[in-house]
Amino acid sequence: MYWYKSWCEIRTVILLGIASIAVACLFIVFHQQSMRDQASEPTTYVALVWKAVYDSFVFDIFFILSIVLGSDGLLHEKTIGTSGFTLALPVSRRRILLTRAFVGYCAVLAMALTPAIVLPLCSRFSGQHYSAAQALGFSLLWGCCGSIFYAYTFLLAHLMEGEHSAILVAITSLMAYRFLMAIPWLTHVPMLNIFGIVNGEDMPFFNESTHLLVGPMPWLALLVVLFIASVFVFLAVRRMETMDF
Amino acid sequence: MSLERIIQTEELTKHYGAFKAVQQLNCGVRSGRITGFLGRNGAGKSSTIKMLLGMIKPTSGGGTVLGHRIDDPKESLEIRRRIAYVGEDKGLYGYMTVEQLIWFTRSFYTDWRPEIEKRLLKHYRLPLDRKVKALSKGMRTKLALLLALSRSPILLILDEPTEGLDPISIEELVQTLMGAPREGTTVFFSSHQLAEVERIADDILMIDQGRSVLDMPLEQIRENYRRVTFGFADHPPALPSNFDGIERTRMNGRQITILASHNTEAIVQLGRERNAVNIDVSPLGLREIFLETVQEPDHLGKQEHHDVLV
Repeated sequence: MYWYKSWCEIRTVILLGIASIAVACLFIVFHQQSMRDQASEPTTYVALVWKAVYDSFVFDIFFILSIVLGSDGLLHEKTIGTSGFTLALPVSRRRILLTRAFVGYCAVLAMALTPAIVLPLCSRFSGQHYSAAQALGFSLLWGCCGSIFYAYTFLLAHLMEGEHSAILVAITSLMAYRFLMAIPWLTHVPMLNIFGIVNGEDMPFFNESTHLLVGPMPWLALLVVLFIASVFVFLAVRRMETMDF
Repeated sequence: MSLERIIQTEELTKHYGAFKAVQQLNCGVRSGRITGFLGRNGAGKSSTIKMLLGMIKPTSGGGTVLGHRIDDPKESLEIRRRIAYVGEDKGLYGYMTVEQLIWFTRSFYTDWRPEIEKRLLKHYRLPLDRKVKALSKGMRTKLALLLALSRSPILLILDEPTEGLDPISIEELVQTLMGAPREGTTVFFSSHQLAEVERIADDILMIDQGRSVLDMPLEQIRENYRRVTFGFADHPPALPSNFDGIERTRMNGRQITILASHNTEAIVQLGRERNAVNIDVSPLGLREIFLETVQEPDHLGKQEHHDVLV
């Protein structure tokens, strides 16, 4: 039943996150014509969706909320004074953290899937077409890369005390990483750039002119990303198993 | 299951860096009794309780609860499955309603007793649909007690249970705790409310600066502990060191005040032999014993006195 507590803790963020992403997608779909008219150069509907959803505005919501979801945990409970009650339950710290990490990651997946449901369905109502396969492909990228944002913050949240420390450090360090990836000699290894993998930019599996995913997905890179995220969670568990409360 | 010592510690030690919270604590809590755990703020009570529950790891030494080792994570799980704990801060999940929190907590225990839950809900007048964060501190304490008592646990550990409670709630809690041994529950609780402790405790465990300074049944304390005062016509003589039964001696002018844990007759005889012109023997309450035992000599409120450990 420990999952129920985790759900209660993050349900507001999950529901707000899904709603925000859905509303943002709806806004883009139903204002696509005016947005394309205002663009500096002729833009297709698919290109607009990629730029507005997968490359900037909606992705930013997803990115921030993945970090917010990861910022909770046992150390946060220590700050707010509920860790005594939690740790007195007959549940191991490992199970507490793994359950929390699993429920939180499910929330990240739910947010990643939201554009895949909203975009293909609602595009029809605005007289456009957006492929469900494309949307699912991007959701897969979001789901896998989101695990890194989430797990990295989850680790930070179990390394440092303070209400918002993990969020601030996660955003700052991930932004620093993003700028670091723009260094010319690092751009030769595009798979090092998680922000490139997540939207396909400069990637061999993405066509820059059609703004569509082409060719096989980067399965190896995605598996590596998921593995690194698992290591982050494992490190958080190890840290909590030895900590005094 | 009948254990003579339901909690047992051996040289239990906890250091936080240079700070020694608990130092080589040897103590035991007897089954089927109510044990009051006393000490000043920072004496090491909460650290000891947290070590018993596996929340913090001992620096050295160890102990058992219900025969399970406290420093083994798997055995600690078994301890937590069989005991109930109400923490000092009563930190409960504010985002849940009372009903949700009861449902959530119940799911972890196979020995939950719905009839006790219903009885306590009615008794404590807890609103099921209210969020925990909207409850007063007293109501949160009652909810924490309900969650602990609804299982009739073998052992109930409470850390400052009366803190934040109004007098009526304290009385209700006292009555509940007094009835717990009849239900087969051993109670181990820390408190600063010495009057309440004296009312309900069978045994007293007192610690100071992380060390056990008193571990005895309250009945025995009442029978044996005495304040012996010698008045002298002139400057008081020196008393022999390590005299059996003398716990603490204070000299104040021409008077010597002794805290005697036993052997009062022999101590009185010692006073006569030293030509005391006035000898007074008076019984001590728990509060006085606590103050005499753990308070620094400088803070005893006496003028021109100095401590002489004999």
